[in-house]
Amino acid sequence: MVCLRDIMVAELAVTTNFSFLHGASHPEEMVAHAAALGLTGIGIADVNTLAGVVRAHVALRETAAKESGLKIAIGARLVFADGTPDILAFPSDRDAYGRLSRLLTLGKRRAEKGACILSIDDLIAACDGLNLILTPPRRLTLKAEKQLDALLAKLPSERLWLGANLLYDGYDRQRLARLRALSERHSIPGLATLEPLYHAPERRPLQDILTCIREHKTIHTIGRILGAHAERHLKEPQEMRRLFRHWPEAIDETLRFFAQCRFSLDELRYEYPDEPVPYGKTPQAHLEELTWIGASARYPMGIPETVRNTIDKELALIAELDYARYFLTVNDIVAYARSRAILCQGRGSAANSVVCYCLGITAVDPTEVDLLFERFVSAERREPPDIDVDFEHERREEVIQWIYQRYGRERAGIAATVISYRPRSAMREVGKALGLSEDVTTALANTVWGSWGSAPAENHIREAGLDPTNPEIARAIHWAEELLGFPRHLSQHVGGFVLTRGRLDEVVPVGNAAMDDRTFIEWDKDDIDALGIMKIDVLALGMLTCIRKCFDLITHHGGLKYSLATLPREDQAVYQMLQKADSIGVFQVESRAQMNMLPRLKPEKFYDLVIEVAIVRPGPIQGDMVHPYLRRRQNKERVSFPKPAPQFGPPDELERVLGKTLGVPLFQEQAMRIAIEAAKFTPGEANQLRRAMATFRRVGTIHLFQQKMVEGMVRRGYDAQFAAQCFKQIEGFGEYGFPESHAASFALLVYASAWLKCHHPAVFAAALLNSQPMGFYAPAQIVRDAVEHDVEARPPDINASRWDNTLEEGPDGRLALRLGFRQIDGFRQTWAQQIEDARRDFYDSAEDLKRRANLPKTALVKLAEADAFRSVGMDRRAAAWAVRRLPDDEALPLFEAADARELAPEPRVDLPVMPLPEHVAIDYQTLHLSLKGHPMGFLRALYAAHGVMSCADARTLADGRRIKIVGVVLVRQKPGSAKGVVFATLEDETGIANIVVWPAITERFRKEVLGARLLLVEGRAQRSTEGIVHIVAERLVDRSVDLLRLTRENLAPPLARADEVKRPVREAGAPARGVRHPRNVRILPKSRDFH
Amino acid sequence: MVVARQGGGVVLVAGDEHAHALGLMPGMTLATARALHPALHVHEADPDADRALLHKLADAAERYTPLVGVAGEDTLLLDITGAAHLYGGEEGLLADARQRIAARGFHVRAAIAGNPVTARAVALFGTGGNIAPGCDAEAVQSLPVAALGLDAARRASLERLGLKRIGDCTARARAPLAERFGKDFIDRLDAITGRIETPISPRRGLPACIAERRFAEPIGHEEDIRRSLLTLAADLKRILEKRGEGARALELTFFRADGATRIIHVETGRPLRDPQTLLRLFREKLDGLADPLDPGFGFDAIRLSARRVETFAEAMTSLDASEDFEAEIATLIDRLAARFGARRVQRLASTDTHSPERASRLVPAQSVGALALDFSAFAPVETEAPPTRPIRLIEPAERIEVLAEVPDGPPIRFRWRRVLHAVIRADGPERIAPEWWRTPEGTATRDYYRVEDENGRRFWLYRDGLYDRETGTPRWFLHGLFA
Repeated sequence: MVCLRDIMVAELAVTTNFSFLHGASHPEEMVAHAAALGLTGIGIADVNTLAGVVRAHVALRETAAKESGLKIAIGARLVFADGTPDILAFPSDRDAYGRLSRLLTLGKRRAEKGACILSIDDLIAACDGLNLILTPPRRLTLKAEKQLDALLAKLPSERLWLGANLLYDGYDRQRLARLRALSERHSIPGLATLEPLYHAPERRPLQDILTCIREHKTIHTIGRILGAHAERHLKEPQEMRRLFRHWPEAIDETLRFFAQCRFSLDELRYEYPDEPVPYGKTPQAHLEELTWIGASARYPMGIPETVRNTIDKELALIAELDYARYFLTVNDIVAYARSRAILCQGRGSAANSVVCYCLGITAVDPTEVDLLFERFVSAERREPPDIDVDFEHERREEVIQWIYQRYGRERAGIAATVISYRPRSAMREVGKALGLSEDVTTALANTVWGSWGSAPAENHIREAGLDPTNPEIARAIHWAEELLGFPRHLSQHVGGFVLTRGRLDEVVPVGNAAMDDRTFIEWDKDDIDALGIMKIDVLALGMLTCIRKCFDLITHHGGLKYSLATLPREDQAVYQMLQKADSIGVFQVESRAQMNMLPRLKPEKFYDLVIEVAIVRPGPIQGDMVHPYLRRRQNKERVSFPKPAPQFGPPDELERVLGKTLGVPLFQEQAMRIAIEAAKFTPGEANQLRRAMATFRRVGTIHLFQQKMVEGMVRRGYDAQFAAQCFKQIEGFGEYGFPESHAASFALLVYASAWLKCHHPAVFAAALLNSQPMGFYAPAQIVRDAVEHDVEARPPDINASRWDNTLEEGPDGRLALRLGFRQIDGFRQTWAQQIEDARRDFYDSAEDLKRRANLPKTALVKLAEADAFRSVGMDRRAAAWAVRRLPDDEALPLFEAADARELAPEPRVDLPVMPLPEHVAIDYQTLHLSLKGHPMGFLRALYAAHGVMSCADARTLADGRRIKIVGVVLVRQKPGSAKGVVFATLEDETGIANIVVWPAITERFRKEVLGARLLLVEGRAQRSTEGIVHIVAERLVDRSVDLLRLTRENLAPPLARADEVKRPVREAGAPARGVRHPRNVRILPKSRDFH
Repeated sequence: MVVARQGGGVVLVAGDEHAHALGLMPGMTLATARALHPALHVHEADPDADRALLHKLADAAERYTPLVGVAGEDTLLLDITGAAHLYGGEEGLLADARQRIAARGFHVRAAIAGNPVTARAVALFGTGGNIAPGCDAEAVQSLPVAALGLDAARRASLERLGLKRIGDCTARARAPLAERFGKDFIDRLDAITGRIETPISPRRGLPACIAERRFAEPIGHEEDIRRSLLTLAADLKRILEKRGEGARALELTFFRADGATRIIHVETGRPLRDPQTLLRLFREKLDGLADPLDPGFGFDAIRLSARRVETFAEAMTSLDASEDFEAEIATLIDRLAARFGARRVQRLASTDTHSPERASRLVPAQSVGALALDFSAFAPVETEAPPTRPIRLIEPAERIEVLAEVPDGPPIRFRWRRVLHAVIRADGPERIAPEWWRTPEGTATRDYYRVEDENGRRFWLYRDGLYDRETGTPRWFLHGLFA
């Protein structure tokens, strides 16, 4: 008979894969497996870290493991730098937890990023309230025993245990006997543990591979560093009792120890800071006051009744959930940015509340998009509010520094991002560990992996020239797949800030980042979310920089003073422009896919932009929702709403959810809503679903919900196909979630940037160029687009340009774009500043410029090569000749003092005149663009003879017509959702053309598709009903070599030599020196390729 | 394709004609190349081997002149002053060199000019061929400025100024050019046009003295070669006698008719010049060659040179005999290996593995590191403890019948070779799982026990397969006996 006591066993020394390259199981797997085995409890103790404990905590809280009655203890395995054997530390209460966290912080702050340096004295100083397990070394020599004696005597004994582990090395009985003697000698209880490194024995190979990666060895050379067996896994309680049958007390101690660890991560909830609350006020009262003041400002004509009601409702909910301090903190940060004229914009579920609109956190009028606040911040789910704030990318650092200042470094920190193994990195490391050659490993890493990181299909492996049935390759792929999603290291999150009321390092350990003076905590955003700790994303957005620069330029040139909230709304000219897909530079909708969508969706009001932003995403595409929506929008299909069978509920239950999107779910929130309304998920289940979506890759639990959701819907009378589609969409959101609340905030920036482009094209182009790098297009396309919108563009010049691109009054009173020195490749901002500062009057020569602006010669050479001396009558060649003569830096002090000319006059030298094509080519090399012409213009005559059409002509072609076209490749894309189709954009002197290459053609013309700078495409025109022409490629030719014609009049030495004819020697294929492949000749900037 | 690691990535550095035809060019990253052609064969670049190869070609080129220089990674410079007549003039020499090198599978670009810089430029950037005397300056006019070997920055600025060919530069006033591109630019112009002399720096010092024979009909018979060597040695002796010197280092160079070259070095303990002694030294060396001298279609020239000479003296010093034991063993191994073949003289080496069968292995005794035997990891924890493993394994392990407690109890009694043994004492288990990356599926985990029977004999035996997890009825094997 099994008595209850027999099955009560806890395993305290569990190592998860957050002990990087040691543990071979996720914390979630450890929890699930421990629950299945019937263990009473497990203690998570990773190497000098608490990084994995939240995962374990959440896994226990939100999965079936909870029902098993399993408990977890939170701790860490302290690995010392001074040779002390490892000690496991588990806090007994919140205070002791704080000490452990500070201890780890201390060790981490001393060390490089990712490391931790601790000594035994550090622990002794911090050990109050910590339950400690001393783990004996593997080799229990007499010397080691003496060391243990000393250590046991040194450590406080009231909370100390001696770990008793099995090694299966043939000496376990002797070992346990000696440990037992040791424990009796010191009156320290022994505690049984198997020190699991993985949850089940099947993971041993992966642990071996991790060890190889850690030791930088291959499996064939690593030898006995690997474990000899697969015993380091969790075992059943009965088995543990059997293994320790000679020392049963050590098993009983596991329970006694466990009972001492009373700390739970739940105790860390809601520690929001107090700063923004003035003395003597409650947070709620202060928030209400600020909200109503803001409301009066937003609605100067009087606050509408509906808005008033919504504000009341929202404030009541905030009071109920005690979130006032959260909103005030966000407001605090945004108010600071506003005070420094840094443009910012909130987004996320809570950001689209009327309260946030009133506070100025967002400029999206929530009544315009009708986003219901309580949909996202719900009382029953008690999710923490979520607000991300985007700031101008060039000025975000100011905000970050201010946050540190205001909240103190001990209370503000940046969240971690857990960098996980992705297909490439996993394949690469596993291949290396298994001893595959670099060649094979690289080839495997480059194969295309399935949509969710499942192993590459066999044909892809064959494509890479490898045999998928080869056991070594199959093994490498199998383990790489297992390794996927394993945490690799922690990195600093781009902008996720954590703020606490008390010391941050008593909540979570803080470590050094790679950047100097930066620190970040050990938990990522999901962890923080799960514990309900205050976090706010302080993100950088290039378009905000651009828009702010636009606003500044408009005011500078005498225009109105605009802000995001005061731009004229619903301007029809803006929508007309967007409907024509005239959107280069416009936020979010400038990509090829968006440009194709615009004329089909024909946005005519703000909410259409919200949809436009969200529809070209994996979620709606995978859920096959795009076409139904478009058909309904174009009135080709009746708008109807899926209904449940009458006995199950009101027929309009989804109409409320899907009304705005014509009955087709497009947003993440809608998919979630459907799960709740139509499949009757409880709020708790919906929460789990949401989390499963977020942690899709890692845990792979989302399929558990599929059946539940689809069956739930079908049972209630929904169409099975609709149900399946909804779920597929949820899967799509999993990886690239894009909720309506974010789309709404982005849509405002779409509108703002489109409005600026529409009404102030010169301003927009200048600001866009001044905010580079950002967006989809290179400067050449931005300038070209401006020119096509009747903006005069002027070249950079020493007497006119500044660092930034600027605007000059044109003869007709309109603004012209003057290119700035920042467009010159390699030019420095300080040089530009020197030129501006010394330009009181006209520079009349290169020498004059050098002397007055005190520029180094390299700066002048760059200016000359960029052709910036035209205002002093020198073209590029003359300027280069003049500049070259200038002495190498550090002018002679004697002459400088006399302010005399240093150079003797020189006879005029007539250099050959630079032909225009060469000017254009060098413009591209130095400025990445040319105002003098397009490279294709000079080659046009060459191609005309071959019947090549221009891009402009191609746009007028009728459907199905044959066409031949040549252009510079601007962009190549192989979107994951397009099943191997490559989209390329070509440009010639007349415009751009869109090329579609089907996989079969890509296969045949791989080299051309992926490699050509200048590409000839033969194919057929495909004209959509909206009039967009695509060219479906049938044959492609790499004409990059023609680009050489621009700069060299056939300079390559002849390959066939006269004296070789007499004597036939195999000599072809030995290219003469100096002949490089045109791809390597940097005439054109590289295309921007997206895979 | 040949690839090398450059900066952060792997880059193509060279390719064959096929690769060039596919558009794969040096400088491309391997990733790009793979994107274009997934089934690419690549090899790691081996600059040392390339250099060695170039020096081999330089050896072969010594048939034309002892003054051979190596420039860059792919150029040989030959001073052929006074050497061309043997080939019927410069054209003949050029043709002969081209033909011989090309016959070995190389692409050749070659030129003869009044100075090495011009010749190199014409060969690499021009059409090659024989530049008539005094025409150096003219010959380089049409070459691109790249031929000057300038840094990339200066080259680019010259091209941007429209000075794209060497002729564009030489036609201009020198002072403004010097001011802009530096004195060394002018020097380079002067060198390439032959205005200033540039010497060839030979890759090694010229020999002290040389004796050489060329044969109209290539010779291949051993007797012919022996006779020729004797004549050469006699020639050398005469020269050395005149100088009152003897040779300390000698070099015998065989030029094969097909272009292959073989150099045999001999060092002597004292200055020598006696032809018979010299010949004996070379004979010993030639007989002991791992790959014997192969005359192929015969040698068309043989050269005997004294690379190092000393004043001839009668005294002779004896060398101290080494007493180094290791060295003696090594010498013994060398001698045995020389007689029986390197693979047949073996010794034991340890392998770093948990698997008992694989823990030691036989390796060729000459292989490096074979002397380092390390079995310490298998030593017991404390020095006084009994050994964990027997010295010799029974291979293959012998099947035994065992009575033992499940799941992992030690044997209680077992039958080996029909004899029943009762176990008095047992230690274990030591658990060793199979090396999953090596073994085919299905090999089981072993639990090893050290046991002692009633007669005090000790055995090493194992249970094959974990009870329940791997098998229902584990089998047992005896793997060794303790002494």
